[in-house]
Amino acid sequence: MDFSFMAKYWLFYLVGAKNTLLLAFLAVLAGSLLGFLVALARLSRAPAARLAATAYVEVLRGTPLLVQLFIVYYGLQAVGVRFPDFPLADRLLGIGFSDFMAGALTLALNSAAYVAEIFRAGIQAVDRGQSEASRSLGLGRGMTMRYVVFPQALRNILPALGNEFVVVIKESSIVSTIGVAELMYKADTVRGNTFRPFEPLLVAAACYFLMTFPLSKLLARIERRMRSGTH
Amino acid sequence: MELIRTVGLRKSFGPVQALRGVDAVIGKGEVVAVIGPSGSGKSTFLRCLNLLEVPTGGSIAFDGEIVRADPRGAHAGGALADGPAADAWRRRMGMVFQHFNLFPHMTVLGNLCLAPVKLGRLTPEAARDQAMRLLARVGLEDKAASYPAQLSGGQKQRIAIVRALAMGPEVMLFDEPTSALDPEMVGEVLDVMRDLAAEGMTMVIVTHEMRFARQAASRVLFMDQGLVAEEGSPEELFGAPRGARTREFLAKVL
Ligand SMILES: Nc1ncnc2c1ncn2[C@@H]1O[C@H](COP(=O)(O)OP(=O)(O)O)[C@@H](O)[C@H]1O
Ligand SMILES: [Mg+2]
Repeated sequence: MDFSFMAKYWLFYLVGAKNTLLLAFLAVLAGSLLGFLVALARLSRAPAARLAATAYVEVLRGTPLLVQLFIVYYGLQAVGVRFPDFPLADRLLGIGFSDFMAGALTLALNSAAYVAEIFRAGIQAVDRGQSEASRSLGLGRGMTMRYVVFPQALRNILPALGNEFVVVIKESSIVSTIGVAELMYKADTVRGNTFRPFEPLLVAAACYFLMTFPLSKLLARIERRMRSGTH
Repeated sequence: MELIRTVGLRKSFGPVQALRGVDAVIGKGEVVAVIGPSGSGKSTFLRCLNLLEVPTGGSIAFDGEIVRADPRGAHAGGALADGPAADAWRRRMGMVFQHFNLFPHMTVLGNLCLAPVKLGRLTPEAARDQAMRLLARVGLEDKAASYPAQLSGGQKQRIAIVRALAMGPEVMLFDEPTSALDPEMVGEVLDVMRDLAAEGMTMVIVTHEMRFARQAASRVLFMDQGLVAEEGSPEELFGAPRGARTREFLAKVL
């Protein structure tokens, strides 16, 4: 094994890791907002909303991320939708903004399906007596959700959202296939430039692990703290 | 004066008929104890009164306003009556649950102020003053800043009672308020309820505390298999029960 190429290429990995984190963060942020809405639709009284939300969750969880990515990437091109190219953003990211957005959008749409389930499970795990007590005081559906159920559900939801972030960091490697210069793409570039088939990928794996492992440990700690809290 | 009247009240959960036509009248200022074997429909009756369950038959009149049954309620699987009218209806009825159901993420003060403030009844300052007065009434002023997890069962239930009182209800419904308590804490909760009764509050109390029902109730309903099988003054019902089922039940619990 020979890692001497790192002297020349370490910045590739740094930029790649930065872009991976950025992708994952944007995807989970947008995915959480969308996922929250999908969860509310799934728990609503309107049958049409429930059906649409359930279909969304099932379809996105039941099809491969790679297929979704290509559908968004080539599909958007086919219908002529193109994210604008910002030269400034391109320079900051070191990658094409338009492709980056297509990748982030796919990851967000996909993550939203999982996040919706996280929200739904978190909300449903709150004892029904809580909402009944709130309703018996005359508080309506919305206020009961906002002041009584949701704050309690957050204790279940936040740790799971953190885990989702870890998952998306790993899954985001797939957007290298549409040329988004995140960690995996950069590693592959190094592989091509150095004619070393193996070591550049090992470094990439190490980088992913260095991002996900401490994060998982941190999350586990936070989760323990939340569970043992007095309220 | 009549405050609540149910006519032919029915409630089914799928194939299970929890209530099979309950006719009952609750007068203003009355303290009505509801007794009966487990599964006889006592909780369902209370929950129908404040529309936590949607009746599947009959009607409920509350202070002249009438709610009629929604036969679809049987399929609505645990759905309660929704909408502004049902919310307004519930605002006028306090409910106390067996398992307290205090909001664990809020302090005691937060529990007492939530509904009055969010529903625009009181300003935050006024709600706070009212909460402190209510807490003083049950001897728990010093717990205002505590969280429910820091309280004993008896304290939790006393807080749950004053939380309901904070909305100024016209009637209080109690569903086995002492059943989840350690024996030594039952007394403190019953004392609060006695005080409430003495002040003239209209109360409907599902209870297994027969001594309390006998002393505190102005009338007793005996429920059996989804019906009010017998009713009368405590003296009549406990002293000279007429029905065989009533006698059988009382023989078991007394
Ligand atoms: N949410 C529910 N779903 C299905 N069955 C229920 C539900 N609530 C009550 N029941 C049934 O209705 C009957 C009456 O229950 P309940 O009113 O709780 O009786 P009690 O309070 O007198 O013990 C029981 O057979 C019970 O199993
Ligand atoms: Mg019961």
